[in-house]
Amino acid sequence: MARDDSRRPRQLGGELVIPVLAVIFTLYFFATIWNSPWTAQVSAFMVGGILLLTCTIFMVRCVLWLRQGSASLGFGNLFSRDDIVTGRIGLLVCTVGYCVLIDRLGFTLTTFLFLALSMIVLSKGQRPVFITAISAVMALGGWAVFIWAFDTRFPRGWFETTMKAVLANG
Amino acid sequence: MGETASILAEVFVDTIGYWWVIIPTIFLGLIVGGIPGFSAANTIIILMPLTLAMSLETGLVFMVTLYSAARMGAGIPAILVNIPGTAGAAATPLDGYPMAKAGRGQQALAMSFVASSIGGLLTTFLALMTMPILARVGFYMHSVEMIVVMLFGISLIASIAAQDMLKGLIAGFLGLMIGSIGTDVVYATPRGTFGFLELYDGVPLIPALVGLFAVSEAFIIIEKKVIISEDAEPKNPNWQDTFEGVRMALSRWWHIVWTSIIGLIIGVIPGAGASIASFVAYQQSRAFSKTPELYGTGHPEGLIAPESANNGVTSGTLVPLLVLGIPGGATAAIMLVVMQFHGVSFGPSLFENQPKIGYGMFMAMAVTYLLMLLTILPMSRYMSHVTTIPTIYLAPMIISFTLVGGFVPREYMFDMYLALGFGVLGYVARRTGYHVAAILIGVILGPLLETYFLRALKKSDGDITTLFSSTLGNILWVALALSLVLPPVFNWRRKRKELAER
Repeated sequence: MARDDSRRPRQLGGELVIPVLAVIFTLYFFATIWNSPWTAQVSAFMVGGILLLTCTIFMVRCVLWLRQGSASLGFGNLFSRDDIVTGRIGLLVCTVGYCVLIDRLGFTLTTFLFLALSMIVLSKGQRPVFITAISAVMALGGWAVFIWAFDTRFPRGWFETTMKAVLANG
Repeated sequence: MGETASILAEVFVDTIGYWWVIIPTIFLGLIVGGIPGFSAANTIIILMPLTLAMSLETGLVFMVTLYSAARMGAGIPAILVNIPGTAGAAATPLDGYPMAKAGRGQQALAMSFVASSIGGLLTTFLALMTMPILARVGFYMHSVEMIVVMLFGISLIASIAAQDMLKGLIAGFLGLMIGSIGTDVVYATPRGTFGFLELYDGVPLIPALVGLFAVSEAFIIIEKKVIISEDAEPKNPNWQDTFEGVRMALSRWWHIVWTSIIGLIIGVIPGAGASIASFVAYQQSRAFSKTPELYGTGHPEGLIAPESANNGVTSGTLVPLLVLGIPGGATAAIMLVVMQFHGVSFGPSLFENQPKIGYGMFMAMAVTYLLMLLTILPMSRYMSHVTTIPTIYLAPMIISFTLVGGFVPREYMFDMYLALGFGVLGYVARRTGYHVAAILIGVILGPLLETYFLRALKKSDGDITTLFSSTLGNILWVALALSLVLPPVFNWRRKRKELAER
C-alpha cells in the first residue's frame, strides 16, 4: 500500500474534486437565493464569496504547478487499482445495497446480509462460516439491544414483525 | 453557609445510596454516547415512561447519570476508531485517534477518562459555589456576544488549516456553506435544498457526523489489517499504560482546570453546547500552547482540552435549568419535563424548599463522575483492543451501526442516504488532503453563527456596527483578536530566543 509520492508529480485531479464541487454547489446556492429577502442572502453571499475566492486561488495555484511541470491532472490519490484489490468498491456496492434494502427487509435481516457479504468481499472469501456466524450474532445482538430492549425506531421488516408477534404471544 | 454545607454533605451521602441506579446507568450511558445517533436525550425520551414511573429522586439520578456518562462515552470511539459518538466529541479524535494509531490507545483512553471526570467534578462544585453569578451569564450573552463565541470555535478551522491554509479554508467554508442549507431563520426562504423537503430544517448533524467521520473512516481503514500502525509496538493489556495515561493527565491538571471552566461557562449559555465548548477549548489550548505544531499528531493536551470542556458543559447546563427554569439543551429540556411532571418549582426557592432536589442533581453528577472514574478506568486496557480487531470485520460493523444511527434521530430513510453522501465527501476529502473536521466545524457552527448574526442585524435594522455595540461583546472581540494574534507572536519570540541561545 505504500506509495512513493516523492518520485511522482503531485496528482492534482483528485485534489481539484472538492474545490470544483464547492464552486458548483456555491453557484447553485446563489441561484436559489437570488430573488430572496436579504436575510436569506447576506450570510450565504459572504461565506460563498470567500469560498469562491479561496477555490479560485487554489485553482490558480494548480495551474501554476501544472505549467511548471511539478504536478499532473491525475487521479491517482483518489482512485487506484488498490480500490479493487482491497475490496473498497465491493464494500461501497454493499453499502449502497444496505441503504436501499433496509427499508424493505428491516434492520436485522439487512444488517446480517450486509455484514456477511461485505466481510466475505473484504476477506476475499476466506472463513465464510466464521463470518456468517459473527454477522448473525451482530445482527441479532443489534435487534435484541436496540429493538427488543429499547424499542428504538429502527427500520422494521419481516423478521422484526415476526419476532414481535412471537414475543407477544409468549 | 454552615447549614448549606451540612445539606450538601447529607445529599452527597444520600446520592451514594443510589449506586444501584448509577452504576448500570453509567454503562448504558457509555453505550448510547458511543454510538452516533443515540444521544442521552434520545435514550431518556425512549425511557421517559420508566423515568416518570420512578420516584423523583431516582428519576433525576438516572437522567443526570445517563447525561454525564453519555458525554464521556462519546469520546471512546472518537479515540479508538475516529468516530465521535456525538457532535460534542468532534474535536476529540484530532489528537486522540493519532494516539490510538500509534499504539497508545490505552493511554489516550485513561487520559480522556481522567480529564473528563476531573473536569466534570471540578465544574460541578464550581457551578454549585457560583450558581447565582453563573445564572446571570445567560442574560449578558446576546446575539453579538454569541457571534464572537461562535467565531472562537470557527477560528479552529484556521488552526487545522495550518499545514495547507488554502485547503483548510476551502474545507471550512464548504462546511459553512453546507450548514447554510435550509430555510433562513427570518422569512423561512428555502436555500440550496435541491428540492428535498427533508433539508428544509437544515442539514441534520448526526448524518453529517456519521458520514464525514465513520463511513469515510471505514473505507480508509480497510487499507490496513488493523487500525494500529504497523510500526507501533504491539502490547498486551497492562496496567502500566493506564497509569501512564493517568499520570499524563494529572501532570496537566491546570490544563484540565481552565478548559473545563470554558466548558462550564459555555454550558451555562442556553443554546450553546458541548460541540462549541470542545472546539473553543481545543482552539484556545492550541493557541496558547508552547508546542502548537504537535497538535493533531497525538498531543495529550489536544485530547485533554475537548474532553474536559465537553464534560464541563454538563454541569453548566444544570445552572439555567435549576435557577431560571430555562433548559440549556435537549437533555435539560427533558429533565425539565420530568421535574414539572413531579411538581418541582424552579428558581432560588427550589434550593430553599426542596434542597435535596436542587443540590441533589449536582451531587448526582459528582457521584457519577467519581464512580465513572473507578469503574471505567480499569476497562481502558480492554477497550483499547478495538484497535487490533481486523479491519475486514470492523469496517462493515462501523458502517452498518452508524448508518442506521443516522436514521434514528428523525427516522427518515433520506438521512441514511445523506450519511452515505457525506461519507463519500469525507472519503474524497481524506484521500486528497482536506480535513473532515474543518468541514464538520462549518456544518455545526455555521447555522448557529448565521442565526445570531441575522438576529443582531434584524434588531439593529441592518446596522452592521451593532456587532461592536456592547461592552462585553467588545471585550470578547479583543480576546478573540488577542487569541489569534498573540500565539504566533509568542511563537516567533520563542524561536528567536532559541536561535539566539544557539
